[in-house]
Amino acid sequence: MTAAPLPPQEGASDPGATPSKRRIGVYVCHCGGNISDYVDVEQVVAAVKADADVVVARDAMFTCSDATQQEIAQDIAEHQLDGMVVASCSPKLHTLTFRSVARRAGLNPYEYTQVNIREQCSWTHTDDHDGATRKALRLVRAGVARTRLTEPLEPTAVETVPRVLVIGGGVAGMRAAVGLADLGLEVVLVERAPRLGGWVARLGTTYPHGADGGALVLRLDREIRRREAITVLTGAELVAKSGTYGDYQVTIHTEAEPITFSVGQIIVTTGFDSYEPAAGEFGYGISGVLTLPEFTSLLKESDGPITHEGRPVRTIAYIYCVGSRSEEHPYCSRFCCSAAVHSALLAADRGEEIRQYHLYRDLRTYGKNEAILTESRRRGSLYLKFADDQPPSVSHDGDGLRVTVRDQLTAGEEVTITADLVVLVTGMVAGKNPKLIGTLKLPVGRDGFFNEIHPKLRPVETVVDGVLIAGTCQAPKTVAESVASGLAAVTQAAAVLKRGVAELDPQVAVVNASACTGCGVCVDACPFGAITLVAAEGASAETGTAPVAGARTAVIDVAGCKGCGGCAPVCTVDAIDLRGYTNAQVRAMIDGLLVGVAG
Amino acid sequence: MDTSTTYDALVIGSGIGGMEAAIKLGDMGHSVLVVEKEPSIGGKMILLSKVFPTLDCASCISTPKMAATAHHPNVTVLTQSVVESVRGDAERGFQVTVRRSARYVDESLCTGCRLCEAACTVAVPDQFNGEMVSRRAAYIPFPQAIPQKALVERPGTSPCTFGCPAGIKAHGYVSLVRSGKYEEAFGLVAETTPLVGTLGRACYAPCETECTRGSLEGPVAIRRLKRFIADTHYALPEPPRTEAPAPNGKRVAVVGSGPAGLTAAWQLARQGYGVRIFEAAPAPGGAPRLSIPAYRLPAEVVERDVANVTDLGVEIVTGKRVDDLEELRRQGFDTVLVATGTPRPARLRVPGEEELGGVRAALDFLRDIRLGQPPDLSGKVVAVIGGGNVAIDTARSARRLGAAAVHMVCLERRGGMPAYAWEVGEALDEGVELHDGWGIAGFRGGAAVEAVELKRCTAVFDEKGRFAPTYDETTRDDLRCDLALVAIGMGADTAAFPLLSSAGARGLQADPITLQTALPWVFAAGDAVTGPKTIAEAVGHGRRAAHMIDRWLRDLPLAGFDAPLPVVDKAEVLARQRSHSLREPLDGTLRLVASPTDFAELEPALTESEARQATGRCLDCGVCSECHQCLAACPADAIDLGMRPQQLEVEVSAVVVSTGYRLFPADLKPQYGWGRFKNVITGTQMERLLAPTRPYNTVLRPGDGRVPERVAYVMCTGSRDQTVGNPLCSKFCCMYSLKQNQLIMGALPLADVTVHYIDIRAAGKGYDEFFEQARAMGTSFVKGRVAGIRETADGNLILRYEDIDGGGVIAEAEYDLVVLAVGVQPNPEAAHPFADGALTLDEHGYVAEVDEDLNPGATSIPGVFVAGAASGARDIPESILHSGAAVAQAAAQLERRRVPV
Repeated sequence: MTAAPLPPQEGASDPGATPSKRRIGVYVCHCGGNISDYVDVEQVVAAVKADADVVVARDAMFTCSDATQQEIAQDIAEHQLDGMVVASCSPKLHTLTFRSVARRAGLNPYEYTQVNIREQCSWTHTDDHDGATRKALRLVRAGVARTRLTEPLEPTAVETVPRVLVIGGGVAGMRAAVGLADLGLEVVLVERAPRLGGWVARLGTTYPHGADGGALVLRLDREIRRREAITVLTGAELVAKSGTYGDYQVTIHTEAEPITFSVGQIIVTTGFDSYEPAAGEFGYGISGVLTLPEFTSLLKESDGPITHEGRPVRTIAYIYCVGSRSEEHPYCSRFCCSAAVHSALLAADRGEEIRQYHLYRDLRTYGKNEAILTESRRRGSLYLKFADDQPPSVSHDGDGLRVTVRDQLTAGEEVTITADLVVLVTGMVAGKNPKLIGTLKLPVGRDGFFNEIHPKLRPVETVVDGVLIAGTCQAPKTVAESVASGLAAVTQAAAVLKRGVAELDPQVAVVNASACTGCGVCVDACPFGAITLVAAEGASAETGTAPVAGARTAVIDVAGCKGCGGCAPVCTVDAIDLRGYTNAQVRAMIDGLLVGVAG
Repeated sequence: MDTSTTYDALVIGSGIGGMEAAIKLGDMGHSVLVVEKEPSIGGKMILLSKVFPTLDCASCISTPKMAATAHHPNVTVLTQSVVESVRGDAERGFQVTVRRSARYVDESLCTGCRLCEAACTVAVPDQFNGEMVSRRAAYIPFPQAIPQKALVERPGTSPCTFGCPAGIKAHGYVSLVRSGKYEEAFGLVAETTPLVGTLGRACYAPCETECTRGSLEGPVAIRRLKRFIADTHYALPEPPRTEAPAPNGKRVAVVGSGPAGLTAAWQLARQGYGVRIFEAAPAPGGAPRLSIPAYRLPAEVVERDVANVTDLGVEIVTGKRVDDLEELRRQGFDTVLVATGTPRPARLRVPGEEELGGVRAALDFLRDIRLGQPPDLSGKVVAVIGGGNVAIDTARSARRLGAAAVHMVCLERRGGMPAYAWEVGEALDEGVELHDGWGIAGFRGGAAVEAVELKRCTAVFDEKGRFAPTYDETTRDDLRCDLALVAIGMGADTAAFPLLSSAGARGLQADPITLQTALPWVFAAGDAVTGPKTIAEAVGHGRRAAHMIDRWLRDLPLAGFDAPLPVVDKAEVLARQRSHSLREPLDGTLRLVASPTDFAELEPALTESEARQATGRCLDCGVCSECHQCLAACPADAIDLGMRPQQLEVEVSAVVVSTGYRLFPADLKPQYGWGRFKNVITGTQMERLLAPTRPYNTVLRPGDGRVPERVAYVMCTGSRDQTVGNPLCSKFCCMYSLKQNQLIMGALPLADVTVHYIDIRAAGKGYDEFFEQARAMGTSFVKGRVAGIRETADGNLILRYEDIDGGGVIAEAEYDLVVLAVGVQPNPEAAHPFADGALTLDEHGYVAEVDEDLNPGATSIPGVFVAGAASGARDIPESILHSGAAVAQAAAQLERRRVPV
């Protein structure tokens, strides 16, 4: 697929020529007060009305509200608008909203420009209302200038592949695979380890419903086997991804040989690692000091009264927030409070006389998990709160382990507990997947977990088109929460793939073949490998331009181009333009910003 | 609106979870019906200020989802609708009954201009602003509401209006007077009857009997307000007249100019009928003109009311007794209404009644007075026989004509008299002597009566409640008198219209619904049909007659008169008042003298300020007062108060329950004083104070509008609290409080914010970092429960709390504003549509997820899924993900039904 060359634009090459008369509507948003408390919205409207191409200019309390959307649609019809500018918030938030208003009203969505006067004016210049207003006006003028030069663009439709790659065979990935198959999609489930199941397969009794972790995985495994649409590849890793949105080619390294196939969407469910305390951290390394996973394994792999290294365990001390809410890992691991409290209940089941002390900072048994906290108290667990800057200490003497803590619940009294076991309630840390991150260009947050685009608007999507995330690779979650997000990713993938076609943004780079010298600088500049050099003769058939004998010319694959614009400035002869942000438009925007500025 | 009855999926509730479910199912190509009980989609999220931990503005996140839901080609939205029942199963599909409440605004016509809101005269607490400010009864819920269409809140008819037999919108005119719209108030009453001044004085005001305020300090003075309206209108130099419409060519004769006849004539003339009234008496007005004494109802008032009718072009022929209905037909009247009242006095049929002079019918006596020929009773002793209203009027009139003594004799004991107790009291105050429990054995005298012979009445009614007096003939007494006035009842003049009544009938006979008589072109109304009733009842009858006559003349079925909404439940009205300050009713006591000498009107008129003050006591029981201002204001004619709920039946293949949660009602923790202390608010109310569409445009204390400098948060209000039956953690209150802390410090840089907490539960991506951010901005955290709050004289609040960090002492601190971090409760409505117990709830009352580990969102009913906080406390991102999980399974269910395995 290649793009048609840019038609010569009237006035674009000759700044002195009068651009064709446009009919532009401008809407300036109060955002409730978010904008209008600092920017004089009415003044901006009044000023922009002076522009001859602006046929409607209005302000609105919430431009994004349905009522104003209707009003805009009405204006488009009534005034036959051929361009539209909304000055409100970040384009990240509402570009799509207003493009869809335009589409509904019969205006090409790409004749729309969003101007950000909230993040860039009102929120930045709360101390300078006048300045914020003047800046807003300049930004709006620039937006109008860009819109004056817009042209209708049509997205490229791509047939999507009804197959999904799921990377990571823990519960989230397994459940996602089943869910996708149930919607009539093919699934390839790839797991790095030799077996499916992840962390949950190793768990004994889980909270809050008491299910056995291994049994849960077995159930999912049976469901997967029952579905022909699911292919499971274990001991396998993704090594390459190419192609375009809705039709990616992926290569999987398996123990046998690499396989390459097409998928429409990719769901990443690579899970977490458990925090590994440093030697000596809260006595870690001393016999009897265990991490939470070590303790749950101990519980799972034995029955009857708890023993450790042959000695009966009568007293357990739990230290919470090990590896969480720390300098190294400033986040809360969410699941561990409930998991530890639940483990204490399991321990109590093994002998009611067991004494259990919980040394915590804030007990985060949120929601219904509060019930297990109450139950643990009823069954004898004692809770001691330590200050953030006064963590407990663990040492070893002849009698066993000594845990010392200042308990804030008893007026800061120093308490020493002699324990047979110390359980370090360790949190989750991000899994180590450097190759995968590199291959998929996954966005990694400061905490090492993968980042969604927006936790509320697009909670399972990443900035990489078609690559979704779910489960604990995104953030610490419980089993049910991981599964829920896995299914949410199923929903998102299916919402795209069940339509059968995906639309690609037409704001891509195009080559003016008649000007291209075939130097190839752009080919190297493209991070997506979307530009190739072809013999000019070959290009001519598609572009209809007269070929220069023996010359080569650059051709851009519209499906591969992401519209980043990296090629345009490097072109030595200005033969590349970015649709939607042409050189002429950018120049016009700068002129718009500088209206009235001397020099 | 989409009128199909089959959808792939039903989504109940359109909060963030429901919208997400609808959009995603729609994106997959499934048709979705969204049923939302509120007038706008969007749920609770759209009303928030900003959302944690990104501090995005809640509107900015919600509005695109709302618009996407509303405009999705595969999604149909029904607002103000409730799913009443879901039957069937996953195999065969579900049959769903939806009840759609009336909006009272035609959505297809409404442009959202809000002129109705500006015109509306009723203000009620705005539930979309934490009830901290008011909204109107006609309103658009909030600026971002979808649909952006007005609605009129009408939980039922106000008791006063419902109780009015005339059909006058009593609440409506009270509300109009409250708004200073006196002319509009007159117009509203005149929509029903021209007798505004008459009813303002002489109506027995069943509206006031029904007034909900009556169970507090006393009813609103509704009748006197009507008099105020009439007096104000008539006092105008040139009172605006009702314009007579173009004649429609049809003519109606009305026989009788009492309340029924005048009202019918008024109604018909306003529709273009040519109406002529025939009145036997020399003056028009019927009983109000001829028998109600001037001290209650001056004749000029009746005359002014009658002039409303004649101003409209209705001709009144007085002194003309009609006894030949056919003759009227011959004169060209298309139909005739007989409303001749009850002019015939009932007789005692005792010895001496006929023979002796000085035994007269009270009606004749009153009529002589009203027509300017009062007898001189100076020094005379008058006996009035009867215990009803007419007897009272007669006795009191006799006192005014100089009678030395007036004796009232009635069968009943005082407590059982047909006259109102207050009337009896007033009569006694004016020196009338009551002889209760006596029957009349006869009259004695020479040529003229000298005494009434009494016998003890032992019972007035038989065991079935029928009038059948019994006497103890042995207990007798004599009452000396010069004049005996008999007021023991009256009847219709059936003899004049033999074709309209059967032998022995007490009144004219007409169908009780259509008021049509045996002669199809003759209708009959008022006391002539019903026997003696109140003026208001006669007005109602007259209006009904006009309605039926109009339909008859237009060849329409005789049906469709007033169909008011059911009356509101007074207990609910009182329950929804968080507080009602004691407001003393107007003093209605009349200044009476023991020997009145003239017929001057007794009851003083209300001053304007009294009238306005009186209306301030109205509780707006039915919310909409039916003042009809919105009807007048709406440029699109979109208001339709005749709308009624609709029931829809649809078929679906899968159901998503996303009915959300309920907020903990903070008044269940009385020790925190919410509802009593104005500066104790809930977290939800603080959301509104901080929202871009905030009610005060800044953060203020609701009590006095002061900017708070010390703000306290009481965490876990109603959560983790066995004393209120909720042992669970509500999950998001910590986070919303931390968010509010930061927003408050942004809005009020000088404010100190203190959080009294048990544990700060910032568990989630970026949440603990958000907690640290609040700490870094200066929020103080005090660990320990708050025991109680008391209010100081200046509205500040003293918190008594445990300070665990400070050594576990009990301490007190004073704050300007206290925010209760209220949590969630299960929404009991979630399970309502499903047959008893079919949708299993967990032990806390949330929709149970039967396989939460692997199938989050699956419920006890295959094919029915739960999304979001309906199955437990969830914040927004969790609700969205959970909804995604429910959708994946609902879509799988649809796939199975599409492609059976």
